[in-house]
Parts: sequence; C-alpha cells; structure tokens
Amino acid sequence: MPSEHGGRMPVLQGTLDLIVLRTLETMGPQHAYAIATRLQQVSEDLLQLNQGTLYPALVRLEQQRWIAGVWKRTESNREAKFYAITKAGQKALAEETRRWRRISGLVEKLLSEGA
Amino acid sequence: MHRFFARFLSLFGSARAERELSREIESHLALLQEDFERRGLTPEAARIAARRAYGNIEQAKELHREERSFWRLEHLAKDLRYGCRNLLRTPGFTAVAVIALALGIGANTAIFSVVNAVLLRPLAYKDADRLVTVLHNGTGPVATANYIDWRDQSHSFEAMGAADYWSSNLANNDPSDSRPAERVLGLKVTQNLLPMLGIQPLLGRLFLPGEDNEGADHEVILSGRLWQSRFNRDPGIVGKLIVLNGEAYTVVGVMPPDFRFAPFWATKAELWAPNAFGKAIHDRGGNHLRVFARLKPGVSLEQARADMATVTARLEKQYPATNRAVMVRPLKENVVGQIQTPLLLLLGAVGFVLLIACANVAHMLLARTSDRHKEIAVRTALGAGRSRIVSQFLTESLLLAATGSALGFLLALWGTKALVAISPAYIPRVDTIGLDGRVLLFLLSTTVLTVLIFGLAPALQATSSNLSNGLKEGGRGDSDGLRRNRLRSFLVASEFALAFVLLIGAGLMIRSFSALQAVDPGFNPNSVFSMVVSVAGTKEEPAAPRTLFYRQLVQKIRALPGVASAGAINHLPLAGDMWDLNFTIEGRPKPRPGESPAAVYRIVMPGYFETMRLTLRSGRTIGDQDDARAPGVVIINERAAREYWPGENPVGKRIAFNTDKNNALVWLTIVGVTANAKQEDWALPSYPEAYLSALQNRDFLGENGSHMAYITLVVRATANPTDLVAAVKRTVWSFDRNLPVSEVFTMNRVIADATAQPRFEMLLLAGFAAIALTLAAVGIYGVMSYSVSRRTREIGIRISLGACASDVLRMVVSQGMMQALAGALAGIVSALFLARLMAKMLYGVQPADPVTFICVAVILAAAALVAMLVPARRATRIAPMLALRNE
Repeated sequence: MPSEHGGRMPVLQGTLDLIVLRTLETMGPQHAYAIATRLQQVSEDLLQLNQGTLYPALVRLEQQRWIAGVWKRTESNREAKFYAITKAGQKALAEETRRWRRISGLVEKLLSEGA
Repeated sequence: MHRFFARFLSLFGSARAERELSREIESHLALLQEDFERRGLTPEAARIAARRAYGNIEQAKELHREERSFWRLEHLAKDLRYGCRNLLRTPGFTAVAVIALALGIGANTAIFSVVNAVLLRPLAYKDADRLVTVLHNGTGPVATANYIDWRDQSHSFEAMGAADYWSSNLANNDPSDSRPAERVLGLKVTQNLLPMLGIQPLLGRLFLPGEDNEGADHEVILSGRLWQSRFNRDPGIVGKLIVLNGEAYTVVGVMPPDFRFAPFWATKAELWAPNAFGKAIHDRGGNHLRVFARLKPGVSLEQARADMATVTARLEKQYPATNRAVMVRPLKENVVGQIQTPLLLLLGAVGFVLLIACANVAHMLLARTSDRHKEIAVRTALGAGRSRIVSQFLTESLLLAATGSALGFLLALWGTKALVAISPAYIPRVDTIGLDGRVLLFLLSTTVLTVLIFGLAPALQATSSNLSNGLKEGGRGDSDGLRRNRLRSFLVASEFALAFVLLIGAGLMIRSFSALQAVDPGFNPNSVFSMVVSVAGTKEEPAAPRTLFYRQLVQKIRALPGVASAGAINHLPLAGDMWDLNFTIEGRPKPRPGESPAAVYRIVMPGYFETMRLTLRSGRTIGDQDDARAPGVVIINERAAREYWPGENPVGKRIAFNTDKNNALVWLTIVGVTANAKQEDWALPSYPEAYLSALQNRDFLGENGSHMAYITLVVRATANPTDLVAAVKRTVWSFDRNLPVSEVFTMNRVIADATAQPRFEMLLLAGFAAIALTLAAVGIYGVMSYSVSRRTREIGIRISLGACASDVLRMVVSQGMMQALAGALAGIVSALFLARLMAKMLYGVQPADPVTFICVAVILAAAALVAMLVPARRATRIAPMLALRNE
C-alpha cells in the first residue's frame, strides 16, 4: 500500500510477533489493550491494526513459551490478562532482531542498488 | 515442539480456552470503552466506538482458534453435514457400503472377542504366567512315585502339586429334598495345589499342611457353582458334613463362583478333596496324576526344563522305562494349545473378509468421485486447498465407517453370543467370552484402519487430476478415467484373490469334514443311547450285590418295550475314559522294558457287541455264560490281532493283564476278533484293544471308590432312542433311589461331539467364504455396470456401426473376466502358500487338493460371470441414437 499518501499500511507478515515481544521487553508486563494502544502510538497510527488481530500473535507466542499471561487487575480495577516476556522470549527476541536487521539490510541494499 | 504439544493439548481443552478467550476479549473491550468515555463520549457511544476499534469479534476469535489448534472445528461440522447430505443422496450406494463394512467389522470383532478371551487374557490365577505343567509328552499323566521324586529332587519350583480325577456321588442327605443323588466330577489334589494358584476361597479356608495324610483326608472344598446349585448358597456350609461315595466329608471351604480348576482337563470339576496317596507312593506304573508347579521367582522356563531333565535322567537310570519324555510347559500352552492355530486362522480369515469389504467400498467411492469431478474442480478453483478436499472426502469415509462399525458392533454382540452357542465344548474359557475394553479398542482401531484403507486412495485420486480437465464439458472422456480404472481393476482383482484364498480354506475344511463324516466308527450309532450309572457309596457297591445289580439291570432293560438290545461297558468309546494296559502273551519271551504289548482296556457286559453292532471278524462275542465260574475270555480288535499275531489266528491264544492273590497270572483266552472301533479321537486310527467279560472281572465288580464303581449302559431302541430314556432311568431307580444317573447321550450325539471342532471351523470358514464371495461378486458387478455406463457412447457408436449384441456382450465380459482371472491367479499362488498353514487341521485331504482348487475356480468364475452378465446385457440394449444424444 502506498504510505506516502498518508494511508495506513498492513503489518508485514511475521513482524507482529517481533513487535509484540519488543513492546513487552521495553514496557514490562502489559495487557492486550495496552499493547495495541502502544503499537498505535509508536507507529503514529500508521500501522493498520484491528485490535482483535493481536490475539493470534499472543496465543502463538504463549504456546511457544516466549511470553506468559497472568490475570491481574488494572489501575482502574478491571481484570485483564497481563503478558510478560519470558527468558526464552528474550533470547528469541535478540535472535529475531538480528535476523530482521540482516534481512532488512539486505533488502535495503538490493533496493538501493537496483535503483 | 512446545507449540505442537500445546496445539495438540488444546484439542482436548478447547472449552476452557474458549472461555478464557471470551473473558480476555471482554476485558479488552471494557478497557477500550473506558478510554473512550474518558475522552468524553457517552457510555453508549463509547461502547460502539470500542467495538469499531476492536474490529470483527467473531473473526478475531476464529483467527485465535486457528492459531491455537490444528483443526477448525467449524470445518469438521461443515464436512459432517455435507457428508451426511451426500451419502443420503445416494441411499443405494450408502446401504451397500455400510452393510459391507458392518459385516466385515462385525465378524472381525466377534472373532477377536473369542481370541481375546481364549488366547490373550491371562488365566484367572495369581501370576498365571509362572504356572507350568510337568507331564509326559506335555499332556500325559504321571505316576505317583515319579511325582513325589520330582517334587523332592527338583530345585526350580516354589511348589509342585498334583491332581487326580475323582468322580464322586454326592448323596442327598437332606430328607426334605426329593432330588436324587448326583454324580459330581471332582479332583483329588495334593495339599499345596490350591494355595499355589493364589486364589482365596469365598468362605472357609484352603487345605492345611498334613491334611493330605491318610486318615486326615476327609475334607472337601466346593466350587461356587456347586455351592449355589446344590446347597442354596448356605452361608453356614463350612463345617457341615456331606456324603460323597458313601463317606462323610467335612466342608472346609467354598471357592469363588468364577474359579475353575483344572483349566485344560477335568475342567468341570466341582469339588476338591485332599489326595492321600497311601500305597500308591511306590507306584511307577499307573499314570494318572496331573502335575502342576509354580516357578520360583527369577527361574526361567529353560532353567526349569534343564533342572527337570537332570532329575528325570537320573530317575530313568534308577527305574528303567519310566520318566520318559517329561515336559515342562506353561500352563496356558496346555489350555490353548489345541485351539490356537484354528482361532488365529479364523481371525486371519475374517481379516480377509474385511479387506474385501474395504476394497469394495473403495472402488464404489472411486466411481462416485469420478462422477463428482466437476464439483471438485469448481471447489478447487474457488480456492479450496487439496488438504481441505481430502479431509472432506475422509470425513465422508469416516461417516460410512462409523455407521458400519456401529452396525458391526451390534452384529458382533449377536455374533459373539451365536459363536458361544455353537462353539464345541473343547474351546477353553468359552464362558468368559464377552466385550471388554480390549475388544472395543480393537473395534475402534479397525474402524480407523478401515477408513484409511478405503478412504484415502479415492480422496487422493480425486484431487490429483487436472483442474481444467474437470471443468470441461467433455471431462468425462475416456482418457481421464484411465488411471482410476486401473486402480479399480486392481481392487476388483484383489477382491477376487482374497475371495479365492478364503474359498480354498473353506473348501479344504468342507472336504476334510466330509472325509471325517465318511469315517466308519466300527459300530452303528443309530438308535443307540448310553447312560452312566454309578454304584459308588450306595448299597449296591459291595461285590455280591453289585454283580447281581448289573446283571438284573441289563436284563430288566432288555425286557422294556421298545428296547431291541442292551449291554454295558466300563468306558464308552469317544465319550468315556480310556485306559491303556500292558499285557503278557502266553509262550512269548519276556519283552524288554517299555516294549511290552499294550491294549485299550474295555470291560463289557453281555449284549454290548450286539447293541453297538460291532462287527465280529472271527470267533464269538461275550455272553451270559462267561461269568466267574467259566474260564476267562477276551475279545481283541483287528489292530491288536495284526500287531501282536501277524499272520496267525489269535483265537484260542491266551493273554494276561493282571495277577491274582497268589501272584499268578490270570490267563484269558481270546475267543473273538472284532472290527476296529473308534476309541478316543475320531480322526486317529484305533489302537490295539481288548474287551474283557465284566462278569468275571473282580476289579470291576468289587473295587471300591470311584475308579471302577460305575457302568455305562448302552441301549438300542426299536424306534427313537430318546423316548426310552425315562423308562430306563425309572428301571435304575426301581433298584435304589440313591443311584446317580449321568451322561445320558445318544451315540449320534457322542459322534457329533467328537467331530465338533472340525465342524465348528468348517462352518465359520464356509460362512466367511460365502460373505467374501458375495462381496466380490457385488464388487465386480458394481465396476462393470459403472464401466458400461461410462462407455455408453462408445458402445452406441459400435452398435450403430454394425456391432451385434454378442460382440458387445463379449467385449464387456472379456474386460471383466481379465480382472477376475488376474485375481484368481494371484489367489491360487497365495492359497497354495497359505493352505499349508492349515495342514494340521485337515483330515484325509492335502492342502494343495486339486479338486478343491478346481471347484473354487469354477465357483468364482461362475459368480463373476453372473455378476457381469447383468451390466453386459444392459450394454447390448443401448439404443445408439439415445446414447449419442446423451453425451
């Protein structure tokens, strides 16, 4: 999708997990809504993200034991499931980040050379 | 890896996960709404805004589900609905497929439940796999002195006990009870035998050490069944006295109702008493004990065998011609040994039936899928993945199989009952046959396996063909069906091969059985019945009244109206006991140990030969004049004459079986030779046999206890023998109301029982073969009619170009015959190989019997021809114009 027209762009396949992990690492345990809000803030509303689509990523990460969810109360005294990154999750994040940098560097290089 | 397990686990915990998901989404929405309210929206507007921001809740849930688990349940439900609709749209096909599967699965489950109860389940004793028998040649009884030596000299056994056959008259000592005395089968056991089995009594106790000493042995333990049937479950039975063979025994215990001992011989024993060996402890000649032992912990069967080999070798040196061929065998092997091969064979046979049913359903499904080609092509074009379509096809197959196996289960319930009802008495543990967890597991896995066998091939085939071909109007052309046709032909051919093998098995059993039926028993069983009368413990038991009683009884029965003749014998051929005794021939040198002549020992009352119509070859029979005052006489059978007097006339020669009080041989003169009569095993040739006169036999007339104190009456009726039974019983009881009468059989029934095992095997195999033949015929019919319907246009063109009906007929039939022929060839090869496995079950027929093979080939060819003629005739009636327009 053309982003220069101010439109929203879809989350790139496979990057959502990375973004969620990173968010949890920097912000500490968060519930799904907070994660979604944070993503929208960071991307300055550029990411096109229905908040519901966060859930598959969360269950995937939880089943991989990279994050762990616990039911707690929010400051406004509502119950919500808070997700925290695990040791294995941190390791995976480091690795995935490296991989992402390599790939994006490679793509960047290819794109600029091809131009 | 974690994910795989997590996804797998979530197949089971899906309800919990769903609840958790809803809860999380709810909380999420609440937080969103709160946020919007904080920004100043009304609660209602905030709620709507929250929903909008969240997106499609159901879709989110669906995505979550898909991520969480392997399957989309919704797909399964859809597939199930779709499959049901599809199957109901073609009720004919569905019914045939379901019935075929039900027959296959039902028959398999029924036979498996028998295999499970008889072969797989352990015997009902504690640690039954540690129990062994120690017997001559594996099954033959043992002499008392040898048992005692083995027990004392071996080191491998925790305990070694012995049992002896004991037939006892249970007198009715309750005056208010009008039932007559009863003959009950019991065992005399060593004290350690019952404790060795590890089963606790229901009431009372087992025997204590020392209770098998002489004088202390008048105690008895009852079976649960006897306690129930004869003693009304009297809770105070322990300590009471009962009268057995005229002697008082104290009841010390009652076993649980399902306890049986011994498991392979004397299986109907209802009571157990201690065995005081008395003088027999020095006896090495009379083999009548069955020896059981429990292996010491850690001792293997091989070690026990080596141990016993050492012991018996040493004893054989000490006592020549004894202790030969002593074998240690697992107890279970003796229980199931006879039946193992036939049962496994039957299981294999029903397996074949199921395979045929699967092949049948598979090619019917194949035919269907090629008709649904367009549908598949459209669905593929619309984006359905291959796995999606395969899973849909498999769901349909699963529906078929599930319905089939549900019906099959009902069939198995009924079939198991029917099997138990027709199963001959020789099948051990037949009373424990039933459906348990293992049978259900078998049913379940059979069903799943069935789906994979018949469902996978059509599903893969259906999705493998070219997309655009399917969409084209002419997609039904001949080329696209070629591969499918080849698969179908293969399936039909294999059905024929399997049916061929089954028919050979059934054919061989039928031939073998008819050979058995043609065996001459040596006597004429028609219109004869027999009945055992015991005098043990009654006032007729002492020698003087016994002789008189036997004589008068036979005479009185002869005088009854409707009686043609009557006689009596100690052991009835084929049904009674069989004793083998050594004898001495006058004027011959003393034989080497173990080589002395021996004969089956029969003692008869006058009238026996006439009643049984046993053919006399030379000399005379035994008559009323051959009593204690007359010189001793004996009659031998042809086999004995041939064996011991080859080329001589034995009549007039003298033999001796035993000695008198002064240790002098008691000589008997051979006065006649009879035809060979069947003895114990219907299929075996007769051994040498000798008939002695009861009226001159002191043991038969005078010995106390259960061993000799009974007689088997044989009565020939002028009309129906069963009409006479009541009158004969009344005659017995006119002497003494306390005389127990038992084992009332017609001779024809005795013979039927003797051939029950081959009959049972033949009936089952023939039944399976008939099912197989029908399924194979239905299979080839289905394939041929399908192929004709697909070739309508081609046949129409041929007819319009001048082909006549016979050409079309020949074309269609020859195509089908090729498949049948290929199948039959494969069948012949496999049958030649497999039939050898049943060589031991056959009598008078070779496994490669040419008559059977030719007959089976003809039957199969005929069945195939009939199945093909219907569609072939339909083909000849195709109207060319209609056929061409049709396409």
